[in-house]
Amino acid sequence: MKFNKNLRNIFLILFATLALSACSTAKKSQTSGDVYTGSDTVEYLASGVKDRVFFATNKSSLTSASRETLRKQATYLRKNKKLNVTVEGHADERGTREFNLALGERRANAVKDYLMTYGISGKRISVISYGKERPVNSESTPLAWSQNRRSVTVKVK
Amino acid sequence: MKKLIFLLFIYLNSFSLSNALIKVDITRGNLDPLPIAVSPLHVEKSSENLEKLDTKKLGVNISAIIEKNFKSTGLFNPLKKEAFVQKPDIAHLKPRFEDWRLIKAQALVTGKLSVKNNKLKVEFRLWDLTASKEMIALSFTTTPSNWRRVAHIISDKIYERLTGEAGYFDTRIIYVAESGPKNQRVKKLAIMDQDGAKTKYLTLGNELVLTPRFNPSNQMVTYLSYFRNLPRVYLLDIETGKQEVVGNFPGMTFAPRFSPDGKKIIMSFAKDGNSDIFTMDLETRVVERITEHSSIDTSPSYSPDGKYICFNSDRSGLQQIYVMKSDGTNVKRITFGNGIYGTPVWSPRGDLIAFTKVRKGRFYIGVMRSDGSGERLLTENFYQEAPSWSPNGRVLVFYRETKSGAQGKGFSAKLWSIDITGYNERKIKTETDASDPSWSSLLSK
Amino acid sequence: MTKSLFYSIIFHTMMIFLTALSLPFMTREPISLPPIVSVELIQITDKTNIPFAPKARKIIDKVKEEEKRVVSEQAPPSAKAKEKPDRIPLPNDKKEKKEIIKKKQNPEEIKPQIRQSSEFEKEELINTNEIAALIDKAKEERALKELENKKLTQSNVKNNFATGLSLSEEDALRAQIFGCWSVPLGLPYDKDLLVRLKLELKKDGTILKSEIVDHQRMNMPGQKFYKILAESALRAVRLCQPLKVPPTGYEKWKNIQLNFDPTEMLKG
Repeated sequence: MKFNKNLRNIFLILFATLALSACSTAKKSQTSGDVYTGSDTVEYLASGVKDRVFFATNKSSLTSASRETLRKQATYLRKNKKLNVTVEGHADERGTREFNLALGERRANAVKDYLMTYGISGKRISVISYGKERPVNSESTPLAWSQNRRSVTVKVK
Repeated sequence: MKKLIFLLFIYLNSFSLSNALIKVDITRGNLDPLPIAVSPLHVEKSSENLEKLDTKKLGVNISAIIEKNFKSTGLFNPLKKEAFVQKPDIAHLKPRFEDWRLIKAQALVTGKLSVKNNKLKVEFRLWDLTASKEMIALSFTTTPSNWRRVAHIISDKIYERLTGEAGYFDTRIIYVAESGPKNQRVKKLAIMDQDGAKTKYLTLGNELVLTPRFNPSNQMVTYLSYFRNLPRVYLLDIETGKQEVVGNFPGMTFAPRFSPDGKKIIMSFAKDGNSDIFTMDLETRVVERITEHSSIDTSPSYSPDGKYICFNSDRSGLQQIYVMKSDGTNVKRITFGNGIYGTPVWSPRGDLIAFTKVRKGRFYIGVMRSDGSGERLLTENFYQEAPSWSPNGRVLVFYRETKSGAQGKGFSAKLWSIDITGYNERKIKTETDASDPSWSSLLSK
Repeated sequence: MTKSLFYSIIFHTMMIFLTALSLPFMTREPISLPPIVSVELIQITDKTNIPFAPKARKIIDKVKEEEKRVVSEQAPPSAKAKEKPDRIPLPNDKKEKKEIIKKKQNPEEIKPQIRQSSEFEKEELINTNEIAALIDKAKEERALKELENKKLTQSNVKNNFATGLSLSEEDALRAQIFGCWSVPLGLPYDKDLLVRLKLELKKDGTILKSEIVDHQRMNMPGQKFYKILAESALRAVRLCQPLKVPPTGYEKWKNIQLNFDPTEMLKG
């Protein structure tokens, strides 16, 4: 009897969670932690190859989604051997200018390092940090800031 | 309204029995601006009708600038000219003190202007009206086009005589003039007088430029330029316009400042995601590494004696301020408060460090002693940073972005100044939006 | 989008259904909750002990209103536009533009003339040592001795009401002078800032004679601030006169010493 009740409660919680998560996807949350997970600002290097990854505040570590994006970029770069890229590191406006320049550089290098572990020569990748000088979204909202904390891989023409 | 500062403790007056003299301790006063009358400069008869030069207007303009300078300090209250009781020429010879006291002035500035052989001569006197005596009298000769500087130098002399510390009026501010939307902001180097006059643009805005800083003699500027998309520290000679990259670094260099003797530039160099602090000797071109740490080390600033460097590092996990000897040894963290700290700048007096603090989404400009104690936050806003000291260490100039419109899409960036007491916050007028100010030292030392 | 909406509707209905079904059970026998661990909440002050420097909004507002636009009065726009250097040339094109820029903004041109003027600066026309000259040596020495004993007398000796001013009389005088004393803000607060001012008063409270006890300090090198401070004290009493003195007991307060010390105020 007691077991049954527990089981029922577990089911209850499970369903409630599912129902709530369905609810939240319906509202379209675009950040996890404070890393942007949406794709509003994202452009594509090629079909299915996103050009950018996003970061948490003050962080330069890559999320699993970012790593997946970068693996696709690496595959794309391996296929296009003559293509060189520049990785641009950016920060949001909520920090001091000079520190953000360093932070952007660190983010760009996190991407470069990851691409290199997938066999892309470091010579093909240059990095540049723009700090907070080139936001993609000019608003002053947590969403805009999350979109601006990014590293963008740009083809060199 | 009197802004009397009330003390917690008011001493009991002491009474000495030995000489039966009553003693009363006065431990507080008011911080009301000192009422001062600036009489228009008297123009000498012989200089009145000159071709090409309206000397009358010049005299009015000079005294107007002196007045404006005084007012901007918050320490003086220039009185309205309509109330003046004596003609400038007579007042300059010997004021009727009781008349000036009647309009509640405590100090009076009088002056005389003449032009001879195309040389402008300005003479001025400062009078203590309560003591009925002259406090200082000086004269300056220069070319007429320099009249603004004469006004500023006179302001400095009077300020010094009345407050006991050097003035800061005969100075300039270099800054980044901004225009355009935020995601394609156009930035140019600009230079202007401390009061916002005589703005000149030093770059065209083709490339992004950031964080200009004067050298001690105010003839050179070091700054960050994205010329050819390579962010590097540059050196610019304001007089000749000559421009060069500082050092031969294989990556981004940024956050430059001069050493107090002007011989070195200290800056950050970023390599493989790690920023460390380096110096380069401008004469020998020798590059020296100062910090070696896997964290971000940036925003270095020398103490005025050149013996120490304060800088910004996240080696503890978050951005904090550290102080070390100028050779990079003895690194000590000095900030432990809640929030993150950035942009440390050592005051020209050496006793304080100004900084930007970010806490709970708000930005503060503050000062603390060089050991990190005595932190005082002067001003708080949504976004502001980059304090720079006036040469006398009394005033900070910084920049602030104010948002407008839904989600803060509209914004404007302006320069502001504030006294280190936290009083007298005011906006500095600039032709365009402005950021990253750097205050020069006194042009005439 | 439609997919998730669809899911949402299904799950929501399910949840409502289940809630209706299970709530009665829950009221009867709640889900076994983990034991309650009591946690003592310690109040940590939200703010660190950082004093916020007061702002002088009123002054700012006042000043803003009255601010005159001096800038617009001079520098006709045409001349100004001419002055703007096009751009600081990079090394490649420096030769062409060097000269132009030299003309346009060249502090060097200004400097020699200003430097010349510094010769004039030495034309200081008055002797600022007047006060010092008035006082004889003997008093100086006594003053020095007093300075040594100062701390003792100031902190330990309590007021003697029988021979001095009453507390309220003294407060009245003090309050009056507080209002008149404009404290110079540029003083170094870590130095000794005590200015002792001896006054000889008339019966109506006007000043007959005033002297700075430590007047010799006013002209010592590195003590420039002391002179400024002493002058501000002198200005304060002159501005305030007639001083608010009691109607009686003239002999008691005929000679009075005021000890001005802004240290606490400047630190605060």
